[in-house]
Formats: sequence, structure tokens, C-alpha cells
Amino acid sequence: MIPVLRTEKLCKSFSNGGTQQHVIKNLDLEIMEGDFTVIMGASGSGKSTLLYALSGMDRPTLGKIYFGGTEIQDCSNDQLAVFRRGNCGFVFQSIYLLDNQTVLDNVLTGAYAVQKNSPALIKKVKDTLARLGLDEQMQKKYPNQLSGGEAQRVGIARAVINDPKILFADEPTGSLNSATSKEVLDVFTQVHENGQSIVMVTHDIKTALRGTRTIYLRDGSIVGEHRMPPYGSDDIKERRSALTAFLDEMGW
Amino acid sequence: MKILRLSFFNLRKNKREAAAILFLTLISSFLLGTFFSSVANIPKVFDKCFEETGCADSALRINADKYRDDFYGILADDFGIGDIRRGSMLYATGVQITRDDKTYTMNLNFVTESTERKFESFVKCSSLSESEIEKLEHPIWLTEYFMLNDGYEPGDTFTIVAGGRDYPFEIAGFYKCGLFADAGYGRKCVLSDRDYLLLSAVYGEEEVLVFNGGERFDYSEYTEKCREATSENMSQICRYWSKKDQMDNETGFIMTLIYLSVFFSSVNIAAVIFLIGHKITKDIEDQMQQIGVLEALGYTSKEISLSYACEYVLSGGAGSLTGAAAAVFFAPVMNGICTYFISRRYDCPPSLLRIIAAALTVAVLTAAFAVMRSSKIRKIPPVSAFRKGIKSHHFGKNVFPLDRLKKSINLRLALKGIFTDLSSNIGMGSCMILAGTAILFCASTYSFFADSSAIFAIVGAEVSDESVTLMNGVDARAFREDLLTMPEVRKVNLTAAFSGDITVKDSEEPGGAFVYDDYNETEFIHTKYGRFAKYDNEIMITLRRSVTEHRSVGDRIVIECDGGEKSYIITGIVPSTVNNRMDLYFTTQGFIRAFPNVRPNSADIYLNKGCGRKDFEKKLTALYGVNAKDTAYSAGSGGTLEERIKAAADEKMAVLISQYGVTDVDYAVKIGDSVIRGNSSSFVIKEMSSPAVELSSSLEQISSVTKAFCLGAVIFVSIIVAVILSIISAGAVKRQRRDLGIMKSMGYTSKDLMIQIALRILPAAVISAAAALLLTTYLNKCFWFAVFGVMIPDDLPVMISTAAAMVIFCLLVSYISAGRIKKISVTELMTE
Repeated sequence: MIPVLRTEKLCKSFSNGGTQQHVIKNLDLEIMEGDFTVIMGASGSGKSTLLYALSGMDRPTLGKIYFGGTEIQDCSNDQLAVFRRGNCGFVFQSIYLLDNQTVLDNVLTGAYAVQKNSPALIKKVKDTLARLGLDEQMQKKYPNQLSGGEAQRVGIARAVINDPKILFADEPTGSLNSATSKEVLDVFTQVHENGQSIVMVTHDIKTALRGTRTIYLRDGSIVGEHRMPPYGSDDIKERRSALTAFLDEMGW
Repeated sequence: MKILRLSFFNLRKNKREAAAILFLTLISSFLLGTFFSSVANIPKVFDKCFEETGCADSALRINADKYRDDFYGILADDFGIGDIRRGSMLYATGVQITRDDKTYTMNLNFVTESTERKFESFVKCSSLSESEIEKLEHPIWLTEYFMLNDGYEPGDTFTIVAGGRDYPFEIAGFYKCGLFADAGYGRKCVLSDRDYLLLSAVYGEEEVLVFNGGERFDYSEYTEKCREATSENMSQICRYWSKKDQMDNETGFIMTLIYLSVFFSSVNIAAVIFLIGHKITKDIEDQMQQIGVLEALGYTSKEISLSYACEYVLSGGAGSLTGAAAAVFFAPVMNGICTYFISRRYDCPPSLLRIIAAALTVAVLTAAFAVMRSSKIRKIPPVSAFRKGIKSHHFGKNVFPLDRLKKSINLRLALKGIFTDLSSNIGMGSCMILAGTAILFCASTYSFFADSSAIFAIVGAEVSDESVTLMNGVDARAFREDLLTMPEVRKVNLTAAFSGDITVKDSEEPGGAFVYDDYNETEFIHTKYGRFAKYDNEIMITLRRSVTEHRSVGDRIVIECDGGEKSYIITGIVPSTVNNRMDLYFTTQGFIRAFPNVRPNSADIYLNKGCGRKDFEKKLTALYGVNAKDTAYSAGSGGTLEERIKAAADEKMAVLISQYGVTDVDYAVKIGDSVIRGNSSSFVIKEMSSPAVELSSSLEQISSVTKAFCLGAVIFVSIIVAVILSIISAGAVKRQRRDLGIMKSMGYTSKDLMIQIALRILPAAVISAAAALLLTTYLNKCFWFAVFGVMIPDDLPVMISTAAAMVIFCLLVSYISAGRIKKISVTELMTE
């Protein structure tokens, strides 16, 4: 399989009151096309930092990131923005919808960053929203008229609308209740089934179960990796115990 | 204390906005303070000068050859005026003065020292000693103007040019002057008796009655009484001049500039008020949760709102006080500016009371508005504050939906942004209309003054290259035909040079007369309404007369003349800036109807491009003998006996012709056996001048000052606009940090987002520019008519391009100010 994303000796440090804090240390990682990679680890292990470095939201301190054949670590902020719009989709824990825009406009704002206005695009946006359970009436609503689950579905629709090479998600169910979380995770599974590569940060086992590959971070380094078949293709109990055993082994 | 602490906290947090408000209030307070102080002080300068010089407050100037003792008697007997001082004065219009190879023109009056001492106490100032002054061959004492404005010094040469000849005087010193110190009626110069006598052959003489008339004296009543007693048409031989006229003449321009400064100060205050309103509203919206926390902590909403108001009272108050201090420290500079414009030494201390009043006005306005705006907090209960108020709950109509996107997503998102903050945009638009009007007005004024031909077009008089007044008896039409054969001459228009004023029935304002055969041949007289007069019963009047006397095209106007009254139909209204803007425009035949003895006796000569005026003057002198006025002052001393006798005879003839109205002279001088004969046939030209040079020179100062003022004002207003826009843009970035971060995460570049922020002000900028354009055309009409009695043509290309430049400027400033977007880190935002 071809890696969509690859890192070489990736390091990320922050300066804290004159002291250097090394959050990611010499990390080598490959993300394969079609993978649903889940990044787990204790708080402060560098999960989110890694996600933002991989997605071009932030620049690494050292090392290289290859996205396809392109090195992105030395790009300027605007070059990274252009890179992101064509290659990455993001789903955030805090959802981050634009409050003054309707559901449809929120997704269109993301779409127009890449694609030209056309009836086909509008149809695609509406269809995507409908597929995620957001009908026409819902599409006219503003973010503050939506439930948390509905809002996060809009966030996912916005993230996938440009057919990104990788969909990055940072604890997408972190602020949702369990019923709503399930709704959102089902959407992720549905998107993955359609061939979307996903990299997701979580500390929730239920969420991690949806992935096909779990990597465990400790002090900025990958200390373990666990692979699973696509969600739904195996017995859920066995899947859970295998993942739990891996996490126990990692010291979770 | 609690309130102050909160205010200081906010001030520290919003340093940039506080600095902007401080700057704007400083400017407002400074401008208003300077205005109030100057307005009070300028009249004092005149009072002080009249007191120091002992000058009376009124003067009557009567043509010397028409003067009668009755005029004095009526003044003394009928009006009970006691201290009447009588003296002779020479009156010279358009006198050419050369200095360092440059020529400028000016109206001058000449008196002897003894006359000057009758008029006022002759307060002299000279760095030359008495013995040095005594040694001067042609001493001249000039008014302070020449020292203060033109930089002349005692001992310098002051050269008057008449008829192509230089008459150098040596400046003995300068003196304080009450009356007769302005450009319009001429600046008074004091000469030796000998020089006065010499110049009396060149310039016309007047008898001047100087007196303290005050309110007892009514000029209309006086002329009526004089007319009854002497049958003289006083409007043609007498002019009245008062201290008030003197002050209005000298201060008109600076007062206009000062009043314009008030307008700019108002723009500034509007900007401050808008900025405060905008900032408080946005602060309340942004800090709603903190307000909720403060309320939960036990602060009352009154205390919180006062803390917001106090923030602006502190910054506005500091700005006002600093502005007042600046106005006080600027006083010496202002004294210099006033000295330059009123041409009198202006050394008044600043009026502290007025400056403080101005500062208080600005501070109180700022505070009142801040208190009014911040009182909004009282309407927000703590729970509502905790929930960030109701503003974040958007249930309104979706304006500019993206599924109907036509072109640019950046433009569309910018337009959506406008509607999320409509009230700010309206406020900003109003502010920009004011600022835009100021900028467009200045730009249009600058453009007008940059083009001398545009100024000539509103003068209301012909501004030919050369104007030649002919000797009595010379056939003007034949002279015109001769001139037209010259290769340098493009056109010659004949006119009747008529001194004195024409009296209009039922009008208190007499006017000068312009007389032409065919106005279509004139190049600088234009009608604003109606058409040129063609027939002998038609006339044109000035715009000022039309407006002030409510006369329109088609109305009749009655002229009082020697033979009674003549009625004319008004066919056109002419913009005019000369002769009190009340002139009358007759056809030659129409003028002869009223004044049968008058015939064309003057030629306006227009030269072809590239022809030198001076060379042409020399050619005219060579061809048409000599200038009579010139000859009258130039008795030759060289050559043979016969040549010297002829030169002396020419001089005598010239005096007879130019001063006593003699038309033909023959002479014969017998010396031994031989007889030397001659006659006055060589005198064709009585006087020669260049209206174009005279006007250019008199407009030079006003033009350069106006241009400098306009340029300064444009820069000043642009700075205000830039300050407002940068605060708004930077504030928008600060407030929308979250949304902008989200957009960045979607792949919008900082540049895209900066464009969106900049484009948000586009509609407000375009609408304001359009509104400003309309307002400026209206302001142009009102202002120019009020100040100069004319309506200057709107220079639409300049105004439209300035408006477009203003829009681009606004976009650029907003774009640059939104540069803070670059500092927004998506990672930091997302991991908060």
C-alpha cells in the first residue's frame, strides 16, 4: 500500500519560560490510504500536537513530513493553508461552526475554499448533508439551533466535502453525550467505508474501536501499534477485548 | 476606586483604541481651542493697532479734481463730526513692483509724511539711523506688511514699474498703519514731498477726509446730501472706507480658513463619537461573560457601565487637555500665521479661558456619549450576560446565502459579514461621508486653484495679456485695426474704461461697468444663467447682485445716469469676484444710451502663444511713440539743446494730457533764429498694463496658501479615516479570532481573510464616497458663493477620481490593519 502521509524523525518542541519542552520526539509514522488511524495516549503525550503537525496546521520543529510526494514542513503559513484546503479535512472537539452562517453556508464556505461554484457542488453539499441525516429544513438552521450531535455532523460534512486525502479528527466526540457520540461515530464509520483515510485522536475506547489501526503515544514517541479489521466486519466483543488488552499493555 | 480599577484594566487591554481616541480628541480640542482663541483675538489686533496709531475709524476718498469744501462742511455740520483731518493721497491700481527679477502687482496709495501725520501718528520702525535715512535720495516708508510678508528690510530697494520704466525707492523703514493697509484699497506708502510731486504726474490724486464716524455716520445719507448741495454724482467720485471694511478685507481669508478648521474639527469629533460608540458596543458584546461574572461578584450594572464610560472619559479627557495645552503652546505659531494673513503684527497671548472652554466642550461631548452608550449594560441581566446575551443567537434571515454565490467567495463572505455588524457599518458610513466630503471639497478646491485659467474664468472680467488705454481723441477702432495686423496679436477687444461707480435704482450697492461691443468675443466673461447682452436695452449683472437683490434673467434694472434713468432687461448672470462682485455688463451702444459722451477708449489685447509680453510692450512703445504717464516722469537730460528742449516739451505735454485731460497740444520754441516745433500727435497710449500679470500676482498668495491648506486638510482627514478604519479592522480581527481561525483551518489563507475584512467596508466606502460627491457639489456652491460670490464649476473628473482614490485608500488601510490575522495560530485556537 502507498502511504498518504509519512514522517521522518518528526520533532516538536515548545519553549516554556526558557525551558524547551519536547512534545514529539523523532517520530516516524506512515499513514496508508484507506486507513482509519486512531491515536491514543495519556494526557500530555502529544496526541493533538502530532495531529496538528501531520495536518499542516502547525510546523514541526525538526524532521520531515511527506504528504504524498510533497514535503510540507517548510511551507509558509499561506502555503500550508493552500495545502490544507486541497488535502485535509478537520473535525474538532469544539466543532467550531461559524455562528453567523446556516448549516448549508457553513459547509459551502469550506467547499468554496477549494471548488468553484456550480449547481453540481450545491447538490453535492446538500446530498452530503442529507446522507449525514441533515435534511433541507435542518440545512437552513443556524449552529445555535442544533444539538451537539447535529452540529458535529455538520462539522464532518464540512470536513469531507472537498474529498480530502485525509480526514483529521481531534476528539470529535469529546463534548458529546454517549447517544450523540454513537451517531457521530456511525458517520465516521460510514465515511471510512466509502474509502476515506482518517486520522483521529481520542482517549475513548468506544471511539477507538471504530479505527483499523491504533497507535499509542507516550512522551512524544510511538510505543505500540494495534491493527484491527474494519469496524462491523468482526465480532465487537472480541474487537473490544483485543483493543483493551493492547491498551492495558501500553499502560492505559 | 473599583470603577477606576476596572477602567484602567480596560485601558491597558485596549491601548491602541485608547491611543486613537486620545489622538482624535487631542486634535479636536486643539483645533477648537485655536479657533476660539483666534476668533477672539483677531479683532483685538485691529483695536490695538488703531489705538497705537491714533487712526480714525472712517475715511472718505474723493477724486481731487471733483473735491469741494461742501463735502467737508456737510460732514462737519450735518453729521456733527468734529475731528476731520483732510489730506491728499495718490491712488495707484495694479502697480508693478519688481524684486529680484520677479514682478508682482499691487494697489498702492502714496502720501507725504505731513499728510500721514494728519491721518495717524506715524509709528515708525527702522533699523537705519536718522542720518542714514536723511542720506536716502528717494526714501519710502512702507506698511508693516512689506516687512512681515515680503521680507523687505530697511535700506532695500523698492522698485515700482510704470510704463516699462523702473522707479527705484529706498526703504527708510516701516510703520504701523490703521486704514489703507489692505490689498484691495491699496497699501499706503509715505514718500518725500519731492517724490510725491513726481508721482502725482503718474497717478491720480484724491482728497481724503479721515474722521471718527462711528454709528453717527450714514454714507447713503451723506452722498444724498452732497448730491443735493453740489449736484455731483457721488457714487462716481467718492468712496467710503471704514475700520470694519478694513478688518473684513484683511481677515476674510484667515477667518475662512479658521471656520474651515472648525469643520475639520467637527469631522474629528464625529469620528471620536463613532469610535467610542462602536468600541463600547463591541466591548459589551465581547465581554458579555465577564460582565456576567462581575455582576455575579456583586458589581452593580451601574458600576460596570460607569467603568466602561470612565475608560473613555479618561482617554478623551487626557486628549482634550493635551489638545488644550497644544493650543496654548501653538499660540506663537498661530500668531505667526495670523501675522502673515492679516499683515499686522499679531502678538496676542492665547485666550486661556476660550481654549479651556473648547477642551471642556470636547471632553464633555466625549463623556456624555460614552455614558449614554455604556448605559446599555444596565439592560442586561446577569443570566443573559452569562449566556453571552442574545446577540449570538442568530435566527434572522440568511442574507447573501452561499448557494447563490455568483463570483468571489471572499466578496460574498465579506458581504455576509457586513450584515452581522450593520449598525457599525452605518456609523462608519456616516463618518466617512463627513470625511469624504471634506476630502473631496479640498481636492476640488486644490484642483481649482492649481489651474489659473479656471480662476480667471470666475473673475467676471477680461484677463487679457495686455490692456491699453488710449489718449483722448485717438481713434480706438483704427488703433484696433493696426494692432490686428501685428503677427503677435491674436485678438483685440475694444472697451470703454469708465472710472467710478454706476448707481442702480432701488439698490444700495453701486457697481463698476464693463462695456463691450460683443461679449461673444470676450474670453473670460461667462454667464452662469441666461445669455450675453446683445442689444442696447440689454444688460448682464453679477451672480452676487442677482442673489442679494433677487434679480433674475428677464427682470428689468434701472440705471441712474446723468440724463436721468435708463431701463435695461437682464439677459444674463455673470459669476464675478472683482469690484465687490456687483458690476454691470453693458453693450457699447447700451452704455452710450446712459452715458452719451463715453466711447471705446481702451483695447484688450490677446497675444498668440509664445509671444513675450514684455517684448510686445516695447514694440507698442516704439510704434506708438511713448506712454504719456511714463513721459510725464522722465524729463531727459542728455543730447543736444534741441533734443533736451523737445524732451522737456514732451514731458509738459504728457502732464497736460494725462492729468488735465488736454487732447491736443502744439508748441513752438524760438531760440535765436531757429524755431523748434512739435505737437502731441505722438501720444497714442495713455496707459498700458497687463491684467493677466496683475491677476496672477494678486492670486499667487491666496492660491498657494489655499493649496497648502487643502493638501494639509486632505492629509489630516485621511489620517483620521485611517485611524478609524485601522481600529475597526483590528477590532474585527480581535473579535472574530475564533471564526477566522476556523476559516484558516478550512484552508483560507491570511490573504483571503484580510481581503474579506477589507471588502466589508467596501459598500460603506462606496456609498459614502457617492454621498460625499453629492454633498461636495452642494457645498462647493454654498461655500464659494458665501465667500466669493461665485459658484465654481465642479471638476467632476478630479472629484470622481478622488472619491475612487478614497475608496481604494479605505480598502488598503483596512487590508493592512487586518494583518493581525497572520498572527492567528490555528493550533493555538483549536487547542484552547
